[in-house]
Amino acid sequence: MASQRPLKAAVFGKKEVFLPNFVLTLLRTPNIPPNFATFLVPLSLNKLDLRDYLFHAYGIRVHGVRSYIQMQKIQQDKPGAKRPKPRKWFRPKSIKKMMVEMERPFVWPEEPKEYDMWDKKTYDAANKDREIQQDQFRPDARQKPSKERESIAEQAQALLQGKESWKTTPASNEWNEGEEEIEVETDVELPKTGA
Amino acid sequence: MSTSIAIRPVARKLLRPSGAQYIPPPFLLPSLLAPIQQKTSFSSTTSNLYPRDNNRERGVSTARRTGLRQPLSVSKTPLPKPVLDPSKRSKVEVDEDHGLWDFFHSKEKPMNTPEEDDDHGRPWCVEELRGKSWEDLHALWWVCAKERNRIATEAYERKRLEAGYGQFESEKRDSHVRRTQRAIKQVLSERYYSWRDAEVLAKNDPEIGLSGQGPAYNPSNFVEQYVPVEEKASMESDVKPEQDISIEPEAKPEQKSSLNL
Repeated sequence: MASQRPLKAAVFGKKEVFLPNFVLTLLRTPNIPPNFATFLVPLSLNKLDLRDYLFHAYGIRVHGVRSYIQMQKIQQDKPGAKRPKPRKWFRPKSIKKMMVEMERPFVWPEEPKEYDMWDKKTYDAANKDREIQQDQFRPDARQKPSKERESIAEQAQALLQGKESWKTTPASNEWNEGEEEIEVETDVELPKTGA
Repeated sequence: MSTSIAIRPVARKLLRPSGAQYIPPPFLLPSLLAPIQQKTSFSSTTSNLYPRDNNRERGVSTARRTGLRQPLSVSKTPLPKPVLDPSKRSKVEVDEDHGLWDFFHSKEKPMNTPEEDDDHGRPWCVEELRGKSWEDLHALWWVCAKERNRIATEAYERKRLEAGYGQFESEKRDSHVRRTQRAIKQVLSERYYSWRDAEVLAKNDPEIGLSGQGPAYNPSNFVEQYVPVEEKASMESDVKPEQDISIEPEAKPEQKSSLNL
């Protein structure tokens, strides 16, 4: 058992850092044993730094540290670009992860059952709506079938099967032709032209 | 290997001490003698008394799951089976004082709600921090550093769970923490500059000893002599010609020329 393994005498560096200015992010890792913890760390941090930091700031005794740098996929142009330029490639900064083996196990608090406090319903609906809006401005938006297509197909099927009959537009809705013109805007003074 | 394979069983029987009474009849004697020309055995079937080779693992295969040839001491003990359903697994007891709890605002849920994140005051400003000691500022810096870790952990979890809103509040909280940290750094740099200036002044101050021997501050007598106003004015007038004498016009070009060289 790892928890019974005798601890080595902790040897720490002698350089004192009074104002550490970096951020650690603890990750939820349900598929690894509970005496392991994984962090997102800045690329400049090394294993000895992390061991020292966890011991002095959080009182966590660490048996060992494993480190891993995850290269990111290349993407077109920088993430903040308004119109990503084609064939201008950009690779985001790598992500460094470190896994520490701790003396005592730790399990994350459970995931919340309901997300009403975060207003998840509105959040999801807004995201969905935004995606639909964005799809309209994509270059292949015209080629994709519209929403009305299903309705048109249903109506055509109903006509073909004889469930509905074709109705022409009633004559009262059409333009009335052959009647005298009536001036609608009587209060507007028109400039007199010509002689 | 002086005897051939065919006669080996018979020879062994003869050599065995238990079978010593059995003496074959004399008409079998030619069969006991080794044939000179015969190289292979008469029978093509293999003898059951001898294995094919000295391989002790023959027939044991992991691919066919044969198992071992002989039972082991633990063979009767049933093997433990892995629990595939996570809900049926035994719960790990986490200590109340585990250090990783400091990466969370509460022990009940993995992240704050937007209301909880928004429930904070303003950042510390520089004017308030100027009066604090180094110990106070250092402690406040560490509170800020741990709070930033907490905010980052919870923001990552909220994004992973797609929990909903709360990014704005957490970013605002983070910016307030960072502004506090910036104020701490500003106060410390102000102190550093004033200390540096004080060192320059102390070098020219006769009251302050920077040698390290004796007291650092030797206050001189501050009781000034009372000088009436009329005498003061006359003293000043006396001093003026002396100043004129001290600044000699001939001295200046010499200094300039020495500088130019």
